[in-house]
Amino acid sequence: MAEILFYVLSAAALLFGLGVVLAKSPMMSVLSLLGSFFCLAIIYLLAGFQFLAAAQILVYAGAILVLFLFVIMLLNLGEMGAIAERSNSFLDSTSARIGAVIAVGMGVVGLAAASRAAFQPVRVEPGTGLDGLEAIATELFGRYSLAFEAASILLLATIVAVIALAKRQRRGLKDGGRA
Amino acid sequence: MSPELLEIVVWIVKVHVIFLGMVGVAAITTLAERKVSAWMQYRHGPTRVGPQGLLQPLADGVKFIFKESLVPDGANKWMFRFAPALAAGPAMLTVAVIPFGPDVTLFGVTTPFSIVDLDIGLMYILAIGGLSVYGVIVGGWASNSKYSLLGGLRASAQMVSYELSMILAILSVVAISGSLDLREVVMQQKTLGEWNILYQPVAFLLFLIAAFAETNRHPFDFAECEPELVSGFHTEYSAMRFALFALGEYCAMVVMSSVAVALWFGGFSVPFMPEAHWTLGILAFCAKVTCFLFFFLWVRWTLPRFRFDQLMNLGWKVMLPIALVHLFITGAVISFAPQLKSLWNGLVNGAS
Repeated sequence: MAEILFYVLSAAALLFGLGVVLAKSPMMSVLSLLGSFFCLAIIYLLAGFQFLAAAQILVYAGAILVLFLFVIMLLNLGEMGAIAERSNSFLDSTSARIGAVIAVGMGVVGLAAASRAAFQPVRVEPGTGLDGLEAIATELFGRYSLAFEAASILLLATIVAVIALAKRQRRGLKDGGRA
Repeated sequence: MSPELLEIVVWIVKVHVIFLGMVGVAAITTLAERKVSAWMQYRHGPTRVGPQGLLQPLADGVKFIFKESLVPDGANKWMFRFAPALAAGPAMLTVAVIPFGPDVTLFGVTTPFSIVDLDIGLMYILAIGGLSVYGVIVGGWASNSKYSLLGGLRASAQMVSYELSMILAILSVVAISGSLDLREVVMQQKTLGEWNILYQPVAFLLFLIAAFAETNRHPFDFAECEPELVSGFHTEYSAMRFALFALGEYCAMVVMSSVAVALWFGGFSVPFMPEAHWTLGILAFCAKVTCFLFFFLWVRWTLPRFRFDQLMNLGWKVMLPIALVHLFITGAVISFAPQLKSLWNGLVNGAS
C-alpha cells in the first residue's frame, strides 16, 4: 500500500514538476510547484518524517511560494500574454540551453552521488514527534551549526545585495530626473 | 465487534461530530456577527426567520444554494472555481488536531475528544492553516478584476508578514511546555495557576494581533476593505462560492480561538475543578472559544480599519522584533533556570 502510494506520489510530483516548466501562465507554474511540494511532503510523511513534512509545507508552500505569487501578481496582467508567448520559444534561447546543460549535469552528479552513497546522511532516526524533532534540532544546532549559520548569512547577504542593487538603480533614476 | 472495527467506527463518529459541530459553529457565528453588530449599534438585526431570527443561517444557506453562481467572462474559469475550495479547505482541515475535550467515555468506549492527536499538532495547524491564503490569492487573481487582484495582493503580503510573528509567539509557548502536541500542552495547564497566560502574556498578545491579520478580520481586513476595493478578492464571487469564502473565514476564526484557548487558557481544563467530568471539560472549552469569538466580533464593530502601510509597519517593525526578543528571553530563562533560581535564593537569603 505504502509502496504503491510512493510511486503514485512520485509520478504526480514529476508531472507537477513538468507542469512548472511547461505551463504557459506563470500562475499555473507556481500552482504546479505547489502540487509538487505537496506530493513531496506526503512522501516525507510516508517515510515517517512528520516534522520534515510539516516544515516543507510551512516554509515552501506557506511562505516562499506565496512570495512568488506576490511577485507574479505585481507584474502587469497585460504582460502575462507576452510572457506566455516568450515561453513558447523557451528552448531556443542561449541562456535556456546553458541552463539545461547545467541542470542535466547536476542531475548526473546527483545520481552518481546517490548511487555510490558518497554522502554521509544525517543520522536522525525517523522518529515521530518531539524525539525526532529533538534529534533534528541537536544535529542542526550542534554538529551542523556552522553550516546552518553559514547558510543563514548567505541568505542575509543575498537580501542585502538585492536591496543595494535596487536602491542604486532607483537613485540613478532620481538623479537622471533631476539632471 | 472487533477492536479494529470499533476503532474505525469511533473515529468516523468523532470526525462527523467535530466537523459538523465546527461548520455549525461557523454558521452560528455569521448570525452572531449580525446580532452583535446590531446590539452594538442599537438595532435589532435579523428577527424574521425563526424565533429571534435564530434560523437566519439556514435561510442564508438556502439562498446561497439557489442563487446563480456567476463566472465572469474574463476570468480564468478553472482557477476561479477552484479558489473557494482552496480558501475553505485548509481552515476546515486544521480542526482535526484541536483537542476539544478530555477523554470521553460513552457507551463503554473511552476515546480522546479530538479527531487525531498529532505529535506535531501545532506545526500541522500552522502549515495547513497557512495555505488558506492561496484561496484568497488565486481567487483574486482568477477573477480578472483590478479590485480582486489588489485584494489578493494585499492578502498575500499581509499573511506572510504576520505568520512570522504568530509562529514566533507560539514557539515561546512550545519552548516552555516542551511539546508541539496541543493535548499535551493542555494537560500541563490543569489548574488556574498553571495557565500559560500567566507566564506568556506577551506571546498571547502577539498571537492575538497576528490572528486578526491571519484570518483577514477587522481591523486588518484589507483583502476586502469595502471603501477602497468594493469587496476585495471576492468582488466577483456570488452564491455558494462566496459562501465558501465566508465559511473559510469563520472556520479560521474558530480554529484560531481554539488554538489560543488550548495554548494560553488551559484548553478543556475547568477552573477550580481539576477532576471535572468530561462533559464539563467540553463545555469549558466551548465557553472559552465563545469568549474569543465574541472578542473577534467586538473588535470588528469597535475599531476603525488601519491603513495598509500602517499594517506593514506594525507587522515588520513592531511585532516581529518584539516576538524575536521575547523568544530569545524565553529561551535564555529556560536555559539558565537553575542558575537564576540559585541567584534568586541567594538574594533572598542575603536580604533576610
